[in-house]
Amino acid sequence: MRSPLAIVLRKEATDHLRDRRSLFSALLMPLLGPIVFAASLGLVARSVRADKPLVMSVVRGQAAPNLIAFLERSGAVIEHAPADYEAQVRDGKLDLVLVVGEDYGKELEAGRPAPVQLVVDGSRTRANVSIRKAQRLLHGYASQLGALRLLARGVSPQLAAPLRIEELDLATPEKAAAQMLVMIPLFLLMAAFMGGMHLAIDATAGERERGSLEPLLINPVRLRDVVLGKWMATVLVTWVAVACTLGAFLVLLTRLPLADFGLRARMGAVEVLGMLAAVLPITLLAAALQMLVATFARTFKEGQTYVSLLALVPMLPGSMLALAPVKPALWMMAVPVLGQSLLMIDTLRGDVAAAHWFLAAGLSSAAFAALCVAATVRLLGSEKVVFGR
Amino acid sequence: MIEVRDLSKRFGAVQAVDGVSFSAADGVVTGLLGPNGAGKTTTLRVLSGLVQPDRGQALIDGQDVRADPLEARRRIGVLPDARGLYPRLTAREHVRYFGELHGLGGADLARRTDELVELLDMKDIADRRAEGFSHGERVKVALSRALVHRPRNVILDEPTNGLDVMSTRAVRDLIRKLRDEGRCVLFSSHVMQEVSALCDRIVVIARGRVAADGTAAELRAQTGQENLEEAFVSVIGSDKGLER
Repeated sequence: MRSPLAIVLRKEATDHLRDRRSLFSALLMPLLGPIVFAASLGLVARSVRADKPLVMSVVRGQAAPNLIAFLERSGAVIEHAPADYEAQVRDGKLDLVLVVGEDYGKELEAGRPAPVQLVVDGSRTRANVSIRKAQRLLHGYASQLGALRLLARGVSPQLAAPLRIEELDLATPEKAAAQMLVMIPLFLLMAAFMGGMHLAIDATAGERERGSLEPLLINPVRLRDVVLGKWMATVLVTWVAVACTLGAFLVLLTRLPLADFGLRARMGAVEVLGMLAAVLPITLLAAALQMLVATFARTFKEGQTYVSLLALVPMLPGSMLALAPVKPALWMMAVPVLGQSLLMIDTLRGDVAAAHWFLAAGLSSAAFAALCVAATVRLLGSEKVVFGR
Repeated sequence: MIEVRDLSKRFGAVQAVDGVSFSAADGVVTGLLGPNGAGKTTTLRVLSGLVQPDRGQALIDGQDVRADPLEARRRIGVLPDARGLYPRLTAREHVRYFGELHGLGGADLARRTDELVELLDMKDIADRRAEGFSHGERVKVALSRALVHRPRNVILDEPTNGLDVMSTRAVRDLIRKLRDEGRCVLFSSHVMQEVSALCDRIVVIARGRVAADGTAAELRAQTGQENLEEAFVSVIGSDKGLER
């Protein structure tokens, strides 16, 4: 004879395999993440291609032939600025315009600061790279000229340069890629919190709404077995959703020419196992939490309202980590969702955390899941919930 | 054999059931008659162990429901007030699901399902999904899943409510058949016709109390009324909430 738990599990599985909405939330919704990822990669690709030569539109360039020559030597393409250059910068047609002051030649000859103006629109992030380049070139020209003047007066230019500033970028290509790859854990967590949503609500609030809960509970089965069966069905559907998301990302990461975009992601067997070890325990909690919350609802619609809010939970650590990156510590692993986010980000960065960190994160999620399941059993055992209208 | 002793249950300010006692014997159809809101449904819910009484006892075949609700549920088949179906499961799958939860399986369950399909005349709908079933068809499915484990005691909450004439006849025939098989049948109704046509014994409930208990002849004698309808009205004190 089969256990009641297995009977309930099989019934829910059969029931929801026939439900288009369940299939949608398990199979199609998880593809949303990879699609967004591919689209934003397209955007990154475009900005990487912005490595094209710096184009500088110049007003009154003939007044500063040496400066123009310096800029051209440094690789800039010099163009004549149109008359309505201010409007064009404002509209984003031009990234920047260099205006040589009317008194440029006179002031330069007199050894006074010669006026040049850089016309930019600071609100356009797309132009930022060009603007920074232009500024660096102008500063370079200014310090070169200054050094020559000091030398002409018998002073060592080193006196005027008390600091020698060098930038050393420590981000390995993997780490830079991880910036982009942070999306993957986020979407995996969202799959965990959305995949089984429909089943969790239908098996609790839906069961109440259509009046099938009372007949079900009159069977000689312990409530615990009924709830566990429904919970396991939800977990299974969630696994399908997580697997779909991870599979789609794997396809993307191996098929897309990531290296062309300056991205290098390692997704070998170890990384995939690491991601699964991080995300699977949270599905236990997500399913249990969804059922608990939906049990408070009297109708499917009401349950959907509550549970949709839960789907925002995975966003919290993601956006928190983006704003204020933290150094992962063991205690953070015990915080559901936060622990999983950190573990997955580290895995993608190429340094898989120690096994006991995974264990801490997994055990904490499992413990919280057990609490939620127990609370659901208690709730469904109450007359108010079973018969309440 | 179903027995209820001094049962009381209060919901907030409402005393739904107030010291109800009666018994329903095997091989007898016992009707629980009373106006809407008299406490019939609450009494039946205590019998299935889903509502805990504040006071009193419910016994199925001499076993206290509260002491071992699972054993009590094995011995009863219930058509509750709520008879919702799963829209994506077929009629046959509903019967199978409940049969499995009762520990049945294999060829035995398949045979029993066929039997019920035959008994309740469900051949047309047996392998159709429940969404779109008419009210009568839904009650048939709910009845057959309640009877799948051949329970000794059958509890039906307003079984003919909202049914057309043909379906009502089918349910009445089923109730008589269950009685002839020696089962204990307890059903509730607020329809006098129903109760007087079917019941061997009648328990009249009003305002959470038993107002009268006996055969139709005994009730007529008790009240001195020739007409059973008049007897009911005089027992309950009014005909509010009752249907002739």
